[in-house]
Amino acid sequence: MNFRMSLRGKIFLYIFLVLIAIITLTPLIYTAGASLKTNKEIALGGINPFPAKPTFDNFKQVWGMDSIGGKSSVNYADYTRNSVLVSLLTVVLVVVFTSMSAYCFQRGNFPGRDLLYWIFMGTMFVAAGTVTMYPVLQTTTKLKLNNLIGLAIVQFATAGASNLFLTMGYLKTISKDMDDAAVIDGCSFFSVWWRIILPLSRPILATIALMSFRASWNNYLLPNLMLAGTPKFTTLVVAVVQLQSSGGSGATQYNLMMAGTMLAVMPMLILFLVMNKQFVAGITEGAVKG
Amino acid sequence: MAKKAKEKKLGAVATVQSYFMISGSVAGLIVFVVIPLIWILRFCMYKYRGYGAMKFVGWDNFIRVFMRSPKYWLAVKNTFVFAIGKLAVEIPLALILAFLLTRNIKGQNSFRTIYFMPSMVSVAVIGVVFSFMFNTTHGVINEFIKVMGGSNVKWFADGFHAMLVIMIASIWQNFGINMLFFMTGIQSISPEMYEAAAIDGASNSRQFFTITIPLLGPVLQMVLMNAVLGSLKVTDLVLTLTNGKPSGKTEVMMTYIYKTFFGDGGVKAKDYGYGSALTVITAIILTIVTLIYLRATKKSSDIY
Repeated sequence: MNFRMSLRGKIFLYIFLVLIAIITLTPLIYTAGASLKTNKEIALGGINPFPAKPTFDNFKQVWGMDSIGGKSSVNYADYTRNSVLVSLLTVVLVVVFTSMSAYCFQRGNFPGRDLLYWIFMGTMFVAAGTVTMYPVLQTTTKLKLNNLIGLAIVQFATAGASNLFLTMGYLKTISKDMDDAAVIDGCSFFSVWWRIILPLSRPILATIALMSFRASWNNYLLPNLMLAGTPKFTTLVVAVVQLQSSGGSGATQYNLMMAGTMLAVMPMLILFLVMNKQFVAGITEGAVKG
Repeated sequence: MAKKAKEKKLGAVATVQSYFMISGSVAGLIVFVVIPLIWILRFCMYKYRGYGAMKFVGWDNFIRVFMRSPKYWLAVKNTFVFAIGKLAVEIPLALILAFLLTRNIKGQNSFRTIYFMPSMVSVAVIGVVFSFMFNTTHGVINEFIKVMGGSNVKWFADGFHAMLVIMIASIWQNFGINMLFFMTGIQSISPEMYEAAAIDGASNSRQFFTITIPLLGPVLQMVLMNAVLGSLKVTDLVLTLTNGKPSGKTEVMMTYIYKTFFGDGGVKAKDYGYGSALTVITAIILTIVTLIYLRATKKSSDIY
């Protein structure tokens, strides 16, 4: 595309774009800076986001403390582990089950297929998450699922229809001749999925995996409610918010709050910078096809 | 005959395998989506506070919502103020940035990556970060205002300023993702259109309004729809940023419902039947918005 513009116009354009970029980065830079400051320096105010003497003490302290700022056997090291475990488990559940059900809906021919499909689509768009949380919570309590595995299961079950939609769209592009050839070679319905469909749909499954990982890592309300009674299962994001709301006693420890925030945010940002293309593809594919 | 029987047998095996393979997703759907929905539909007719017996009260909960729930309707109003206010900035900003970035610009990828970064951050954590930045005594925003010669603003003391902070945080988080949608839409517009327009002497702004906007129609509709519904469902951001303060002036529909189910640190009594009725009414409000939107966009696409 040609871009005709005077030099002056171009300069204005770049100033505009850079300005927006600076505004976008400010909260992140400010958080990063504050996480390396002492609480005294933060309380002094000023607009310099960079610490006079950067210190990693905040991180050291946060790593060994619990979510309300005290010393305890449960600490941020545990929260980090919990977040990683729950997110990985959610990804596995979403990828395996979405792939299987997309394959059944797309290729299978069994009684009740269309009905099931419409139940999926209909309820998934109705389910608003927050508003059905209370009955969901009752169920998890009854099933004794108020733990990391239960959290992953609920996150998978309520992930929404867009994953299924995307995967089915992708399966349409895989030729059915492949299935037929495999069937002639003696593959059953299941082993066609396992040997042909699953390996061939890797690109779309990678996209879904990234999206689910992000959703799980960043989730707040559900883990907060489900695991409220068991501090050892607290996830990073929940811990950061708890640290904020517990700040009532005396001076809020902003330095620790920001260090905790960095722990919750950095892994996601690094993952994004490394897999930028896949994320962008995932988001826009969901928009175009969903 | 033998072949047919074999095929049939294969078919039966495939059917059994299908049910087996799909059972995980179906079980998840039934237990954690369908049953909770039925629960809500049932309980909206009951009085139940989590203890004692539940009592069938018919339409009482709904009458209460319509006749005696000014706080809920305040939350509904706040939700719409929030959605309209922030989308009025967010969508044009996303559109302009998408238009500029899809032209031959050096550093296009870096800009796109930076603008999109906030979408990676947890909404709840964004609330924490922004409450820190807009802190009255030593938040960076007030420090900046002071450097520019202004005086301290008490961001969370009145409804207007508190709502403004929520909007800013939400715009910050979402403009990049909408920009990305628009970029995809613009990239599917044939470059020849722009070339022809440029040859005819159309300026950039003219190209934006006569080519980009009309041809982006379907994408614009879809993005706007998602953005409207997403904004009306805002929850986590409000909970961690203001929690409805001051005095319910930043309460939104979802946080109000949330509090009828889970309480508000003992301030608000839990009331499950009433909460279920609120859920149903909110779902109806969202449906009405969707229908009005679909009707309006259908009319505008008739014009083009």
